[in-house]
Amino acid sequence: MIRIDLRLCIGCLSCSNVCPSQNILRTETAEERRILWKRCREECDLCVEHCPARALSLVPFDEAVPEPEASFDLVACRICGRRYATEPMLRRVEASLPPSQNPEWVRACPTCRRITEAERATGEMVAGRLKRAPGWGGAE
Amino acid sequence: MTKVLVPTVCPYCGAGCGFFVSVERGKAVGMEYMPGHPVSEGALCSKGNAALEFLRHQDRLTTPLRRRGEGFVRISWEEALGLIARGLGDVIRRNGPGGVAFLASSKCTNEENYLLQKLARLLGTPHVDNCARLCHAPSVVGLNRTLGAAGMTNPIPDIGSSKCIFIIGSNLAENHPVIARWVHRAHEDGAVVIVADPRETPTTWMADLFLQLTPGTDVALLSGMAHVIIAEGLIDGDYIARNTRGFEALRESVRSSSPERISEITGVPPDDIVRAARAYASSPASSILYSMGITQHSTGTDNVQAISNLALITGHLGRPGTGVMPLRGQNNVQGACDMGALAEFYPGYGRSDDPETIRRFSSAWGVPALPKGPGLTATEMICAAASGDIRAMYILGEDPANSDPCSQKVHQALEDLDLLVVQDIFMTATARLADVVLPGAVWAEKEGSFTNTERRVQWSSKAVDPPGEALSDLEIIAAVGRSLGIDLGSPDAASVLAEINRTVPQYAGITRERLGEGGLIWPCPDPHHPGTPILHSAGFKLADGRASIVPVRYRPAAEGPGREYPLLLTTGRVAVHHNAGSMTRRSPSLLRREPDLFVEINPADAFPLRIAGGDPVLVETPRGGAEALARLTDRVKRGVVFMPFHFPGTNRLTSEATDPEARIPEFKVSACRIVRRD
Amino acid sequence: MAVYVDIRRCIGCRSCEVACERVHGGRGHVHVHFVGDSASVPILCHHCEEASCAAACFSGALHKEGSRTAFEVEKCTGCGLCSLACPFGVVWTEKIAHKCDLCEGRAEPTCVTTCPANALTTDFDLLSHRARSRAARAVATGGRR
Repeated sequence: MIRIDLRLCIGCLSCSNVCPSQNILRTETAEERRILWKRCREECDLCVEHCPARALSLVPFDEAVPEPEASFDLVACRICGRRYATEPMLRRVEASLPPSQNPEWVRACPTCRRITEAERATGEMVAGRLKRAPGWGGAE
Repeated sequence: MTKVLVPTVCPYCGAGCGFFVSVERGKAVGMEYMPGHPVSEGALCSKGNAALEFLRHQDRLTTPLRRRGEGFVRISWEEALGLIARGLGDVIRRNGPGGVAFLASSKCTNEENYLLQKLARLLGTPHVDNCARLCHAPSVVGLNRTLGAAGMTNPIPDIGSSKCIFIIGSNLAENHPVIARWVHRAHEDGAVVIVADPRETPTTWMADLFLQLTPGTDVALLSGMAHVIIAEGLIDGDYIARNTRGFEALRESVRSSSPERISEITGVPPDDIVRAARAYASSPASSILYSMGITQHSTGTDNVQAISNLALITGHLGRPGTGVMPLRGQNNVQGACDMGALAEFYPGYGRSDDPETIRRFSSAWGVPALPKGPGLTATEMICAAASGDIRAMYILGEDPANSDPCSQKVHQALEDLDLLVVQDIFMTATARLADVVLPGAVWAEKEGSFTNTERRVQWSSKAVDPPGEALSDLEIIAAVGRSLGIDLGSPDAASVLAEINRTVPQYAGITRERLGEGGLIWPCPDPHHPGTPILHSAGFKLADGRASIVPVRYRPAAEGPGREYPLLLTTGRVAVHHNAGSMTRRSPSLLRREPDLFVEINPADAFPLRIAGGDPVLVETPRGGAEALARLTDRVKRGVVFMPFHFPGTNRLTSEATDPEARIPEFKVSACRIVRRD
Repeated sequence: MAVYVDIRRCIGCRSCEVACERVHGGRGHVHVHFVGDSASVPILCHHCEEASCAAACFSGALHKEGSRTAFEVEKCTGCGLCSLACPFGVVWTEKIAHKCDLCEGRAEPTCVTTCPANALTTDFDLLSHRARSRAARAVATGGRR
């Protein structure tokens, strides 16, 4: 059955997604993600293989061991406040970025990232259009 | 699995883009673009991309229906045709054929429109019209008078060679998106782009000069420009002397239209009026693109004539990169008009009160006589239905209950008819009022020719069969004719086109065999003629070959803001919807992007009314009220609000005032007030 | 290769969005964002040289193939790290990851062909050329008309 090192789990749900027997359950609200690893008799090790944090291992079945549970508070986007990711996942992404990247944007949700990019890309052009407000003639 | 690619013409706007419908085992399974298309070059806007979504929508009408109480029951074609024949027969016996009115469809093919107006006139009624009355009737009337022809004078790709593009009363970026690529091309080649609109739109984003005028003041702006052009000697005296008549009267009429005075009326700074006039007049090739912002006014015909005047006094006609370009909305409104589905014209624009025209068609159709026009226009038909002069109406592919102004009156008028027959693809608000509903076919389910806004005639092929018992509209019209004892010939589109070749001079050489990729632009007087992309390059088809300069005087819109209704409501469109929305509101990709009726309010107007963005509000005019969601934006100036007319409700509010000649309603200017709904 | 946007040409018609959705079974990879009342721009996958989505991908499903950021669906576990790693927010995860595939198998990305305003292109040089012409013209006309 599954053993998990909860200190390493990042809450990504890979294990739950790949388990062919639906032994790893999850629930999610707007604010929280909960994962429950049920006792299983399978020895397929798909979850072990696909865990990005290498937090899972297989141990002999033991009725006495409680089924591990984890719960993650979802982190709020620093721009819109919508909760969009677990903290360990965000940390892992920050650590994986090429060194040249400024990781501030990681703490914004994907939608806000798009909006930020849209504003950045059009900033100069918009300034030109606003200056060329009703009546002001000017090529850009 | 073999997939067949069937070339079709997009059923939405007047740009007439082509695309292929991918057919597998008799079903439409996808679309492919058409890179060889002269206008779109393979592009397609969001509406066109979503076209397959309404094609097999569950709401499609699939059988004939008869009214029973508040609802409908399915009936056979035989029974439906019998009911129609009896009903029309009764009205004709009691009130004469003039008691029947036909509304043709700017979305149906040329062949279908031709056959419908032929049916109406053979039945003996002069009352046939189409929704051009609500959009470009002023262009039809105005340009026929000034230039001798009503349609874009130059083709869309030609815009790419223009050096000054003046866009007034058109939001082409949202309504004819492919035209934007030609404007951009011209711009990058050094063209100046001037846009006049009361509202900031993606079209104004393209402008070098943006003239944000007050709704309803277009004649003033155009007169101001004419004044500057004349005062600064920027006219083309040579061109005026050789090709026009009436210049002196115009010079006199704009004498007092100084930039300062015009600025007071329009709200456009005087310097900008001067700049726009100079740019337009002195560029080597200038074009004017316009649409509903010019036509949907009680002064619509004047507005069009004022535009025509500018082009005529500066000689910007008849050459590449020049032109007067009415951007027509529907995929086949140009065609429906060319086919004479109009109160004042027979096919080819012979006047319906002209004895020679009547004689010619009587002879062509093998009858001793035909009704003398002009018949009632689309808007007049509704009034006549209300007053009892019209007792039966046959409506093909139109939704006056949503598209006409003052919706409540329209509903009442249509309900009061003895017989209302509606032939359509969906149960629209108009169909809901019918006694008999006939299920028609959409573009991909029939073949025929469509004429886009450039006067380009293109053949659209049949990709799939219509659903259930629905038939092509051509077959339906022919069957209705038969049941009335009128032989309209074989309901085969190619045969009808052949008749059109014989009876419509501008289409004489536009035969089925020649309609391959790219289509043909009328006038095309014989089968070897290449078509006429640019009009007026050798004079004008008017008396003594001269265009008419028609002076116009500024008249304010019929309704203005006052104490009770302090705001000015103007209406228009958005990119993802089309007209009354019967097709786009049934396309999930489009509806999702613009799901609700909204009203744009300037924050300075919203704050004192304690309205915040997203609040449900009630917009009221003297005609009635409509609920909408508030959108606070600086796109509209203080005092002006905007609503799209794709949702029922907007036209409950709009004014009934009409242009005295073209009879188009003044959709663009109504006085209103707004209150929060909670 | 990527799809580049000539932002001055975007007219906010959302054709690229609708078309991308249509050819990708109902959910697409292009998002048009409006900036105030004055501009719009589609945000799409840049196929970054140093793709952070590929760097974050544990299974190797996301990887570079030449200049393209490619996706091998069989390897994906739906962990969602890629979605969090994309600075432009254009990778989304629903059971598995989804991202722009440059319409592999078609002659040209659908968004590029369909754009009515001709604002999208895979030809970066074309955009540079246009930008240079614009700048030259602005200088020649003194920036005012």
